[in-house]
Amino acid sequence: MAEGNNPHSLPTKLPGGASTRVLIADDDHVNRLILKAILTKEGYTVEVAEDGREAVVKFGSWQPDLVLMDIMMPVLDGYEAARQIKQLAGDRFVPVIFLTALSDEAALARCVAVGGDDFLTKPYSRVILKAKIDALERVRRLHYTLRQQRDELAGHQRRLLQEHQVAEKVLAKIVHSGNLDARQIKYLLSPMAIFNGDMLLAARKPSGGLHVMLGDFTGHGLSAAIGTVPVADIFYGMTDKGFSIGDILATINDKLRVILPTDLFFAAALIELDATHTKLMLWNGGMPDVLIRRGDGRVDTLPSDHLPLGVVESEQLDRGVLVIEIEAGDRILAFSDGVIEARSPEGRMFGLERLVARVTQEAEAEALFDGLLRTLGDFVGGGELGDDLSLIEITCDPGWASAPRAEVPRAFRPRAPMRWSLAIELVPEALRSIDPLPLVMHLLMDLQGLQEHREQLYAVLMELFSNALDHGLLRLDSALKQTPEGFIRYYELRKQRLAGLDHGCIRLEIEHAPEGTGGLLRFTVEDDGAGFDYAEVFAPLQENRSFFGRGIPLLRSICDRLEYSGSGNHVQALYRWGRHGPPDAAG
Amino acid sequence: MPLTIQRSEDGRVVTITITGRFDFDLHQEFRQAFEHAEEEDARYVIDLAQAEYMDSSALGMLLLLRERAGGDRADIAIVNCSPAINKILTISNFHKLFKVA
Repeated sequence: MAEGNNPHSLPTKLPGGASTRVLIADDDHVNRLILKAILTKEGYTVEVAEDGREAVVKFGSWQPDLVLMDIMMPVLDGYEAARQIKQLAGDRFVPVIFLTALSDEAALARCVAVGGDDFLTKPYSRVILKAKIDALERVRRLHYTLRQQRDELAGHQRRLLQEHQVAEKVLAKIVHSGNLDARQIKYLLSPMAIFNGDMLLAARKPSGGLHVMLGDFTGHGLSAAIGTVPVADIFYGMTDKGFSIGDILATINDKLRVILPTDLFFAAALIELDATHTKLMLWNGGMPDVLIRRGDGRVDTLPSDHLPLGVVESEQLDRGVLVIEIEAGDRILAFSDGVIEARSPEGRMFGLERLVARVTQEAEAEALFDGLLRTLGDFVGGGELGDDLSLIEITCDPGWASAPRAEVPRAFRPRAPMRWSLAIELVPEALRSIDPLPLVMHLLMDLQGLQEHREQLYAVLMELFSNALDHGLLRLDSALKQTPEGFIRYYELRKQRLAGLDHGCIRLEIEHAPEGTGGLLRFTVEDDGAGFDYAEVFAPLQENRSFFGRGIPLLRSICDRLEYSGSGNHVQALYRWGRHGPPDAAG
Repeated sequence: MPLTIQRSEDGRVVTITITGRFDFDLHQEFRQAFEHAEEEDARYVIDLAQAEYMDSSALGMLLLLRERAGGDRADIAIVNCSPAINKILTISNFHKLFKVA
């Protein structure tokens, strides 16, 4: 009986194997003989019991598939034996057919009440007996199959949950080992977010700046989670070695191209704050707009302008970052699409417009993050936010970032400063067929190992070069770019004029000289064009917020010095890196 | 029919029309739509006039089609996008890979 208390411990026979086992409980010797003869002849395996007690015991030891039960028996009557057998069977379905001469309805009802499944009235008809047994046997097999499948499903689910819990712990250790706890960061990330493919990483740069990445793998479950490990590995490893976000995203892209199937990709926004917290660099490939809430309450929206990672080969990947001026107190907000697509009980989407409006309206910058979470909670109703809502707020705070880490393990460092120079001259034919910037950047990196300055240097080169080409040689008016239509017109004109360009050239010269423990880079760019009124575009940055008119003010903010001369066709930019010597030694 | 396929008479243009939700449920059908394509250099038109929604797995399916149709040489136009679908394509910058109209 001890064994019988646990229905799960009863071994279950496979259906369709050996013949159906029928237990006959009847105190009448003749009845037992007749039934046994009929059933044995029909191919059933038969066992008999002479009273209710014996039936219960044999049920436990012999485990029949079906029981034929007389009602009036000594020791234990059929009702009670059936009740006990049903209890022993637990959630196994073992049909009990009552054998009865009774015809009063109350007695028959009692048979059902104790768990009986059918009746058979004496005298027995062989045909009806077999029909009833076979009908119940079909039900029993169906029941068995369903139970088997249910148990299997429940088992799978338990294992999956267990595996998820283990995986979540392991993944969380690898993926979230960074600096999300920095005091300038507020964030929301569900522990199960990894299984939605969401990831949020932050790491301090050796120079004192900060890298943040908010990303979203397509898909759900393990296939979405698996990619997070190499991505986190690359992000932390390369940040620690001083690489810029441009290098990091290119490496992540390479890795994902190899490991992800074609239809899976990784949308990501990479954010780099420089050591002084005056410049924000952003690369947004497939994530919702990143917002900057300025100290005065204005909100800039920075939409995705790149393909997600893992879609195209790295040669085709546009690693151009946006460089944006920021000030103390500015707040940078990045979101997963779960935030934008959060739905109200009526099915309305939260949407970007509502989000931007909410961020704009918040009077108290300090309360922005918590207020936003409350608004979202109210919107979806009940304050319960889903697993796929991830967001981060980074407060620009130069005080936090002022101290670079004293000594960091870095496999990569700038080379000892050397004295060198290079010059390149590009005529129309060359300008049409090659982009000299990657080449020059490559040389710069190889010669001096300035990976940490890569984005800034690229921005400087890019601006100087495109000013010389677009405005110098091609005489394009940047005012055109102020409107979307003009923007398109600008690039059409640019293409036309470049194709027709038949004279002129651009000279680019880079000189490097050691200075203190770092170096000084001098970029000189000269073109044969008519020049331009450089005084006019030298308006202070604060008065020049428009996105595309920023070239020169941006250059001024990155470079230590920027000087136009001649008719505006000759420009020199100075860029210092590394620690500088005392002012008198710097010369 | 959530997905129908039409071939031009010369077999050079394959038009795939999606109705309703363009999401993971269409994965099998969508794959079949181009897996047996015989014309290696066929042009594809994805008509989304009747599509009301598109998720990231739909973007993945488009990438599969692009690869199948020759990668960078693929000629795939996505037409009749609703503003909502256009927004999804814009955020992912799929305009750089497909002709979106």
